[in-house]
Amino acid sequence: MIKRIKQYGSIYGAFVSTSFSEAMSFRAHFVLLIVMDLVFYGTHLWSIDILYDHIHLIGTWRREHLLFFASVMLAINQLTMTLVSENYWQFPLMIRTGNFDFHLVKPVSSIFLTFFRTIRPGSMFNMAFTAPAVVYFGLQVDLGFWAWIALPFGIVLGFLLQNSLEMLFSCAMFWMIDGTGVNFIRIEFQQLARWPDFVYPSMLRGALTYLVPVLLIGSAPVRFLLAPSDFWPILGLVVFLLFFWALLGFFWRMGLLAYESASS
Amino acid sequence: MKVYLAKWGATMAVTWSNLLVYRVNFILQSIAPLFVFLLVKLSLWYRIYEGQPGLIGGYSFGQMAAYHLWVMITGLLVFNGNSQRISEDIRLGRITSYLIYPFSLWEFHGAGFLARTLLQTGIAIFTIFAALALLGGRLESPSFGPFVLGLLLAILGGVFWFWINYWVGLVAFWLEETWTLMVMLQIVTYFLSGAIIPLELYPEWLRTILLYSPFPYIAYGPAQLMMGNLEGVGRAFLVLGFWALVASWFAQWVWRRGLRLYTAAGI
Repeated sequence: MIKRIKQYGSIYGAFVSTSFSEAMSFRAHFVLLIVMDLVFYGTHLWSIDILYDHIHLIGTWRREHLLFFASVMLAINQLTMTLVSENYWQFPLMIRTGNFDFHLVKPVSSIFLTFFRTIRPGSMFNMAFTAPAVVYFGLQVDLGFWAWIALPFGIVLGFLLQNSLEMLFSCAMFWMIDGTGVNFIRIEFQQLARWPDFVYPSMLRGALTYLVPVLLIGSAPVRFLLAPSDFWPILGLVVFLLFFWALLGFFWRMGLLAYESASS
Repeated sequence: MKVYLAKWGATMAVTWSNLLVYRVNFILQSIAPLFVFLLVKLSLWYRIYEGQPGLIGGYSFGQMAAYHLWVMITGLLVFNGNSQRISEDIRLGRITSYLIYPFSLWEFHGAGFLARTLLQTGIAIFTIFAALALLGGRLESPSFGPFVLGLLLAILGGVFWFWINYWVGLVAFWLEETWTLMVMLQIVTYFLSGAIIPLELYPEWLRTILLYSPFPYIAYGPAQLMMGNLEGVGRAFLVLGFWALVASWFAQWVWRRGLRLYTAAGI
């Protein structure tokens, strides 16, 4: 087991190294990626701030609560952008061109090779924005000592659930060949998760919590951090995470059976 | 003239077949905006108005829902660019063909833009009927005259956006990747055009500056017209028309400058 972890660790180290080399050879693009993410973060937070100039509450949340939630979602988004997002766009291209064949002949999990091959080093630097934003708004909502300890774990759990779901959606690309539509839907689901669960009407909230649990990505950790007695959603997140990871394995195998290689 | 128009027609036909080749993808992309409008925007604004009875920025809940519906429709008509393809053509040295053919690069992509806009118009019509059917009496049906003016302004916005896309695509003469620039412009445009929240909610100083920029006339302006508000309609067409001209001139200038760097073997 330890040998296997070491093997995957060394492969991932090589992925990181090659991604950095590639990013450094296209410097303007590298800088633009950083600016692009910052522009998105800035406009998102500013929109919420402008909105609260005209209202006092959304549900029971004041400005600082929603800004804290938004900053946690941005931190999850930043992790996704850095570690996985590029691969969702490359995957359908590999299926269409038949380059996916090369992943199948290597003695490593094809899920690992597909979704963790490329990282975006530029987005990594944006942690310098998202981390202080989470801390700043965390201070504004008076997080307790244990909430501060739990905060990074909550963000990582949200990141893991988001990407388990998105990898599962991406399995559809095996059958659809072109992945644009799936990537479009994937991004729309990210939009749904960008707002707290209480915003949605009860039936929709139920569907987006228990069927396609995108609302747990941000709402479960934040609700737990704001009120530790509200721990059921985060427990649900962990259960769903395990469930969707198992489901991903099943659908991935089905997808591999449907994959027709370069002649498709 | 007939032969020239036939080239546009043929290019549009090719674009349509490219867009429709993967039908499930096409359907997913078509229904996604309506899905987001119904699920996210309506839910969010409903919850906001629940805790804040009365008007927000001069809008009742029904008006806010209508505003976002028309912003969505406008978005379908405006954001039809394809800068990624232009960049690829330059990077891979494919634009050589356009230097020889009697159909230039901008004409080729212009025809593609027209084809996409026509297709998106169909999707917009479907979306309007679907939204009106789903929301029943909550949304007021638009008046004919202002609605047509709103559509025309949205189409002018589309022309402006086409030239911006074309210009960003041409930046590939200097940069290896241009999609980041395009996404950035899109994010800024969404924010400044009032597509996220109506401009009445923005600070006064920002609104004053924005009036001279093309942004408010891309989403906020057409949406206001479609809601029957004709205030500032002349100014909207003038300002956006001016910026569309500037964008087209600038794109042609960038094209001429970029060609000096072109090696025909890719950049």
